[in-house]
Amino acid sequence: MNRVQRFFDSTTFLGIVQYRVIIILVATFVLAASLVPGFFEFRTLSLSIDRVATLGIVAVGLTVVLIAGQLDLSVGSTLALSGIAAIGLQPVLGATGAAIAALLIGIACGAVNGFLVVVLKVNSLVATLASMLMFRAICHTITDSRPVSGEDPLVGLVVTRPVGGTFSPRALIFFVAVILLALWLRRTVAGRNLFAVGSSSASATASGIRSNGYLFGVFVFSGAMAGAAGIMQSLAVNTGSPVFGETTALTGIAAVVIGGTRLEGGRGSALGTLGGLLVLAFLTTSMEYQSIPAYIQDIVTGIILLLLILLDRFVSGKARRAEPLANVIRRWLRSRRDTTATQEGMDERTLAP
Amino acid sequence: MTITPTTAGPRVTAERGSGRAIGWIGMPAGIVVLIIVGSLLNDKFLSVSNLTNVLINMSIVGVIVVGMTFVFITRGMADLSVPATVAVGGILVLALQPVMGSIAAGIVGVLVATAAGLLNGFLIGYAGLNPVITTLATGTIVLGIAQAAVGGVIVYGDDKGIQEFLTGRIFGTIPVIVLIFAAIAVIGHLVLSRSVWGRWTYAVGSNPDATRASAVPVRLTRSAAFILTGSLAGFAGVLLGLTLQTARPGIGIGYEFDAITAVVVGGVSLLGGFGSIPRAIGGLLFVQLLTNILVLQGVPTEPQGLIKGGLIAGAVALDVALRRRGGRR
Repeated sequence: MNRVQRFFDSTTFLGIVQYRVIIILVATFVLAASLVPGFFEFRTLSLSIDRVATLGIVAVGLTVVLIAGQLDLSVGSTLALSGIAAIGLQPVLGATGAAIAALLIGIACGAVNGFLVVVLKVNSLVATLASMLMFRAICHTITDSRPVSGEDPLVGLVVTRPVGGTFSPRALIFFVAVILLALWLRRTVAGRNLFAVGSSSASATASGIRSNGYLFGVFVFSGAMAGAAGIMQSLAVNTGSPVFGETTALTGIAAVVIGGTRLEGGRGSALGTLGGLLVLAFLTTSMEYQSIPAYIQDIVTGIILLLLILLDRFVSGKARRAEPLANVIRRWLRSRRDTTATQEGMDERTLAP
Repeated sequence: MTITPTTAGPRVTAERGSGRAIGWIGMPAGIVVLIIVGSLLNDKFLSVSNLTNVLINMSIVGVIVVGMTFVFITRGMADLSVPATVAVGGILVLALQPVMGSIAAGIVGVLVATAAGLLNGFLIGYAGLNPVITTLATGTIVLGIAQAAVGGVIVYGDDKGIQEFLTGRIFGTIPVIVLIFAAIAVIGHLVLSRSVWGRWTYAVGSNPDATRASAVPVRLTRSAAFILTGSLAGFAGVLLGLTLQTARPGIGIGYEFDAITAVVVGGVSLLGGFGSIPRAIGGLLFVQLLTNILVLQGVPTEPQGLIKGGLIAGAVALDVALRRRGGRR
């Protein structure tokens, strides 16, 4: 017991937990590389990332919501609604106009959530559950529960055809969004304020941060990202469907949490979300290549998610410094040497009464 | 150092007259108004057969509502693994039916769902994980295992006897399934309002620190709410499987949101420590009556989500506003 305790307190363990996203990312990458022939070909890599790009854009919005200590279950419905608008409004506004209108609809959906949470003080879980039902109902009502198809299927190539033989535009948009978010969270005052709001919105307000403004903002941002994701998904398949995105919210939250962002708020990172997304992408690609059924994939994803939040729980409350990865590895190697040297002495001590 | 009396006043202020009145009379009055409106709009509404149908429709989700009320009162947020546990109950009862008969298969179904609840309870109560993400993860895992066990296909049963019993009526009037739901609701209400467990449940939800200081097993109580929800959702799944004699993996989808809707509309607070089974059942009845009126008026299914969503947001916003006025937060 003593040794177990010591292991959990050791810097080695804290280091493992701190860099768990990188560790699991490398693990899944190795898994994918060994299971999928030709995984290192750029085309395979690019395709497997293209598949999670839409989810990734939603996850970028969710990262901000989770850092602020809130939840957004309505992103899937927003995605569907924006997608329907992006296709359905094409005859009226043209492809570009429809896309802009769809983005505005996403922002409006986010503003509804912000209104419910900030003005009416409804808990975000219940508020976005309510708006999820409402937006989904609007989707079904305006389309009569039938998918709408666009006239020109070539429009979709804008978001799916790889740019200059690299990544598809939607994957690139996802990468750019992650980098911009990372810079915003790390390098700007507003970004740091967001963490303060997430840790304790009351304390943040007391120190002069307009917490309510931030809370409203995160829902608008999340709505806008879900809207953008909806536009891209619908353009890619040239269809807007009221059943799009039914599992998006839950998978998106899972990806963000795998990336190390706390559901309680106040901690998280954009690069972590990128890591979480890539983990899901590599896992899905390698398991599908082995034709493992979807429900087994669900079990694996669920277990990984559960293990990661358990790990996170173990170190919460313990003082943690952000240590460079190299230091962690060096210390781990040194502690390995020390442990083998003092192995016998340790055993005697534990046996003693 | 002397302890100076705080100027904040008593921590819990009695709600003002109007607030208390709305809190108590709100839901029964709402139901009465719905019944009046419904009978004015459509003469089929107030018939025995229609109202019985409403009761039958709310029975299965009602069983889950009883468990979800416990989760809400212990400040456990919500149990999002309900679709998985319902599916586990439904799939297992039909898959094992040919081997051991419906009753034994049903018991196994409930036990496995309870095991899922135990996992939730352990992780949330003892490991202290966030309920939303934990129940999401366990739900994914448990549903995956249940699907893997039957090969991911739709399961069919062929026990016509028990199907007829469950969809039948006792004395030709009271549907059996409603009777089962009523029994569970009454037991749940008695446990919550009369037993030690019930008192612990309220205490844990209203002030966990003070409750821990009073030697109440906080972790056990919080776990128990999730274990109970697991078994009740599993039981609901068994009932669903037996009445339909068919179960697909997605059979439980939507039940978690329906149960949360009922509990929230009934005025049970997500902040814990407040609420009761009759309130939650009242919320469920309100939603069901409203849906029934909409269906009778020929409103298509699609826009109904809009009304349901508005109802949830409105109910919680009203609850928050009343609490703030009453001096409680």
